[in-house]
Amino acid sequence: MKVLETGNHLVALAVRAAGVEVVPAYPITPQTQVVEKIADLIDQGKMDAEYIPVESEHSACAALIAASLTGVRAFSATSSHGLAYMHEMLHFAAGLRTPVVMVNVNRSLGPGWNIWCDHQDSISARDTGWMQVYVSSHQETVDTVIQAFRIAEDHDVMLPIMVNLDAFVISHTYMDAIVPEPEEVSEFLPRYRPLWALDTRLPVTHGSVVYPSEFSETRQSMQQSQTRAIGVIKEAATRFGELFGRHHGDMVDYYRLDDAEYVIVSMGSLAAETMISIDAMREKGIKVGLLRVRFFRPFPVAELQELCRGRKSILVIDRNYSYGLAGVLYTELKAALYGLSDTPVRNLIVGLGGRDVSNELIAEKAMESFEGKLGEITWGDTQITKAHVVTRELLERFQELYNKK
Amino acid sequence: MYEIRVHGLGGQGSVTMATWIAKAGYATGKHVQAFPFFGAERRGAPVKAFARIDEDPINLRSQVYDPDLLVVTSPNLLDAALSDGFSEHGHLLINCGEDLAKRLSGECKMDIFYLDAISIAMDAGLEYDGMPMVNIPLFSAVIKQAEIGSFEVVMDVLAGPSGRGNPDDYMTAARKGFEGVRVAKL
Repeated sequence: MKVLETGNHLVALAVRAAGVEVVPAYPITPQTQVVEKIADLIDQGKMDAEYIPVESEHSACAALIAASLTGVRAFSATSSHGLAYMHEMLHFAAGLRTPVVMVNVNRSLGPGWNIWCDHQDSISARDTGWMQVYVSSHQETVDTVIQAFRIAEDHDVMLPIMVNLDAFVISHTYMDAIVPEPEEVSEFLPRYRPLWALDTRLPVTHGSVVYPSEFSETRQSMQQSQTRAIGVIKEAATRFGELFGRHHGDMVDYYRLDDAEYVIVSMGSLAAETMISIDAMREKGIKVGLLRVRFFRPFPVAELQELCRGRKSILVIDRNYSYGLAGVLYTELKAALYGLSDTPVRNLIVGLGGRDVSNELIAEKAMESFEGKLGEITWGDTQITKAHVVTRELLERFQELYNKK
Repeated sequence: MYEIRVHGLGGQGSVTMATWIAKAGYATGKHVQAFPFFGAERRGAPVKAFARIDEDPINLRSQVYDPDLLVVTSPNLLDAALSDGFSEHGHLLINCGEDLAKRLSGECKMDIFYLDAISIAMDAGLEYDGMPMVNIPLFSAVIKQAEIGSFEVVMDVLAGPSGRGNPDDYMTAARKGFEGVRVAKL
């Protein structure tokens, strides 16, 4: 069915279509509409699931894990400080090998207090063992939520997936999209059938002490599952395309990349905006293409090595920052390409805390970068002044003003 | 691609109006987009909302800086609205009376449409929490001036779930907005 809805409501409709059975959740801006809509659907009898209103995000994730371990399909959604608050449980979800799906609406972390979009929240959860996918459109949001369950629940994967969508740009924006009915999805995504589940009639302990003699093996096994997930992700995207006629890429997606001499790499909704920049630059005769990273974990090492080969220059756009180093997609891409080529790779930091990023800005900075006019790392939309920089001088001035009060 | 930016005050229904515009475009078979930008969500604070309508799927995700139609729901927001960017080829739709509209038409680089949406809303008894629901007549005026659809489209969109006020009063105000919007000339 074609609908006009916010990205958040589309998530809820996709969760319904996926036949989710348990939803423990705690509301947080800009995710609230997701769980409100799910609660509405259950209340109206349009969705047969158990909704658990919990007292915190930590508990939301704990209940999510517990529900999954009893053998049902479970889903939750969060954002920003909520994701940070459940960080401990994120490790549990992956370590206990629960194939849960969670939508994270990408929002900055305070302070300064800010409810708008950047990727700092999910990037800070990078090393928890979760798979992470970033979407760039409303239709991709719907289709990725459905695919995520199939990938996570694959018996050779059994790891949680975080589906990341940009705050407001996707979450609160109305756009038209097609939402399949549950019966249309059931061939692609049959009912969840775990090979074992926690059952009070047959008590076992899951997740107890693991001694140093075994611990590394559990972690190596998680990496092996992440590696196996790559094939499962590709197969899911292909099969979904066959059944529904829609394909948004698999590990990566790309646009006008075949003959490109220059490449812009990005994730999330910025990649859609970048397509407009690419068209504008192409009209000026610049052979440039877009490489969009969809799956950030598992990281598309082989795909990036293949698609970045033989290019003249690469610009990676990050909507996050690893303080003390650089944007994280940039450092990961450089690691993937290490030793393979001399192609310059540069980093553009934009759009933190919801600052609007226009296709004109992307094109302008990309041209400067490809002409070698930008340094390795460029903060592309900041106008930093003395008043922003914390130095002894500024602190002394503040101290003076403060003491006068 | 037709792009609209709305400047309003919290409580006037500007965000809702952008959504209605998208619904109207969607009803005519187009691809659409509508989204708000608001800071602290408080009554009376400045609010911006955006809408895009296109034949093709929309890849733009940024705000609208050179709108085909700039909608200003209160004259005291005009300076702020213009400072966020406008196109000289675009139009301005402003909620005000004839005298002010004529004066503005001498100063403003855009062609101006005007509508006294406050009077229309008050006459129709459309008030919510002490604020006249100017979004209904203004929405109707947008659909007409941007040639998004007929008055039937306006009626279809407003017939959906709304929750505030009487549906008949909606239609009265919408009809007056559709028919009452004028071009300002010195």
